[in-house]
Amino acid sequence: MTDHTATGIQILDDKLGGGFTRPAAILLFSDHPSEKRLFAEQFVITGVRAGERCLYVDFFRAPQLARRELTKFGAFDERLAVFVDATSAQLLIPSTERYAIHEMGDLDHIMDTVERAIRETKPARVVVDSMEFLADRFPKDAVFRRWRQLLEVGKQEGATVSYLFLNWTYGQTEVERIEDMSDYVVEFQSRMRTGVLQHFLRIRHSGGEGVQTNWIPYTFKELVGLTVYFPRILVTGPFNAGKSTVVRALCKDTVSVDRLGTTVAFDYGNIEVMGLEAEVFGTPGQERFDFVFQIFAREVNGILLVIDGTRAEDLVRAKQIRELAGRNVPTVVLANNADLPGQLSPDEIRSRLDLGAEVPVVRTIATEGQGITEALRLLAEMILGLR
Amino acid sequence: MEERPLTQAPSSLYDLFPSHFSLLVSGPPGVGKFEWIAGLARAYLERGERVVFVTLDMHPREVRERARAVGLDLGKYEGTGFLFVDSYSATASEKPEDAGGKKVYSVASYSNLEGLGMAISKAAVDLKPPIRVVFYTISTLFLHNPPAAIGKFFQIVTNRVKTNIGFIAYAVHEGVHDPLTMNLLRSLVDGVVELRFNDAMDREVRAHHLRGISLKSEWRPFAGGMA
Repeated sequence: MTDHTATGIQILDDKLGGGFTRPAAILLFSDHPSEKRLFAEQFVITGVRAGERCLYVDFFRAPQLARRELTKFGAFDERLAVFVDATSAQLLIPSTERYAIHEMGDLDHIMDTVERAIRETKPARVVVDSMEFLADRFPKDAVFRRWRQLLEVGKQEGATVSYLFLNWTYGQTEVERIEDMSDYVVEFQSRMRTGVLQHFLRIRHSGGEGVQTNWIPYTFKELVGLTVYFPRILVTGPFNAGKSTVVRALCKDTVSVDRLGTTVAFDYGNIEVMGLEAEVFGTPGQERFDFVFQIFAREVNGILLVIDGTRAEDLVRAKQIRELAGRNVPTVVLANNADLPGQLSPDEIRSRLDLGAEVPVVRTIATEGQGITEALRLLAEMILGLR
Repeated sequence: MEERPLTQAPSSLYDLFPSHFSLLVSGPPGVGKFEWIAGLARAYLERGERVVFVTLDMHPREVRERARAVGLDLGKYEGTGFLFVDSYSATASEKPEDAGGKKVYSVASYSNLEGLGMAISKAAVDLKPPIRVVFYTISTLFLHNPPAAIGKFFQIVTNRVKTNIGFIAYAVHEGVHDPLTMNLLRSLVDGVVELRFNDAMDREVRAHHLRGISLKSEWRPFAGGMA
């Protein structure tokens, strides 16, 4: 049996050594409305697909609706997804579930029912959607006492118990108490920028591994699930370094606005690898197109800086481009044309570009696709704060 | 700013509100808050603005019917300039609204304030801000959530709408909430529109405390949605 429960987000699971440890208590927190329920649902579906039994305690949806909604992730074995129906009683309709809460005003009855479901079904994963339903309705001390007990039962039965919590009514002290009870704290945020909704999550605390991340932008795709999503990765560098070739090597389908083989507006492509999705923009390298560059350099997630690894004379321009984009934007340098004679040494590249130790230099042969995925993975890890 | 007289045609009152503004529409049950709000939606839709209707008290079908009674045919706009956020159907264990393939954002529980907040944002993104949001009614939330939670919800949604979405008008029943709650709600919006019955049982409307708008706040007859 695994001692980890995967989240289904590959790059995150890799860093967590396979997922959250099991057993564990996981707080899925937000201070404002967010899309964290998708993460919890994916957590359940990922478990079910791995053949694990999962328990979903739902205060906001009747189980028949929840089951229907879960199919947005694709087909799954419904026998492995067990529900505690905490909604039908609110709607005054009868429940057909084996585990149902009948008296919504009785905290002990609610928690006893959830604990009984955990003891009897011995799930690998539990999702409680959500804790604020209880926090907003019952005395604080009773909620904390019963919550500790629930987490204890979860640990005894070997379950990873996750609970959504949107803080409507608690103060900072109570929120900290909840965090203290949790082995992991995953925080969520949804922002609206220029008419688009963007979703982010970050691991703020993890007991064992000490993994923390930056805000990770993510998106949801029907039948696919949660994907880490970078709306803007820039592929840039001096003239003729191989930027368009890098974009083509990264992306299945690309669009290039070029003239006689030289990019004059931009290359565009979309990447889907390693559970990552990104929009990739390749900018022209010539100085007269710096205005295009400056448009694309706004709000970039990260930069792949492509240089020709044999041309020292281009590095002044490369350094200039990096400064134009801002030195604190996560950047990976691709020393391209690694198959040609006359390679600059890594030290020479580093000193001429004035790179800090945090900036990796990767040798690539863009025409053959070599080193490109590695460079992207490094960049993704830098953006996510996993390096 | 020069004081503008408030005439009895509601459309002129509707014209007062800037694209980014928040409003509480209060009055006793039955005084015509729905009519007033439907009239507001109609005025905006007719001049090409986009509207989201958040319904907690009625099935979307009923909203369509009652809107028609005030001269607003929502079918004409639905999907392109108009969307429902439906927090009624699933909660009333009716079949979730299926508007013949038209998209409706449904929230399955009155207690799911997070889901409600996200549904408003998603509907707004769908229609492309700036848009006008009408919320009918905030009072219903109080039957299912503690006031402190609604207070924070109200504050967050109002801020989010004003910063990123545009305009929101919340209907609230007068006389069912305690004065503290009403004061809290009033303090969190840019202005208040009140509806009442006068001694002759005629309906009257007034707007007051409109932030940034100078206006004589006198009671005027309210003729209903047929402006």
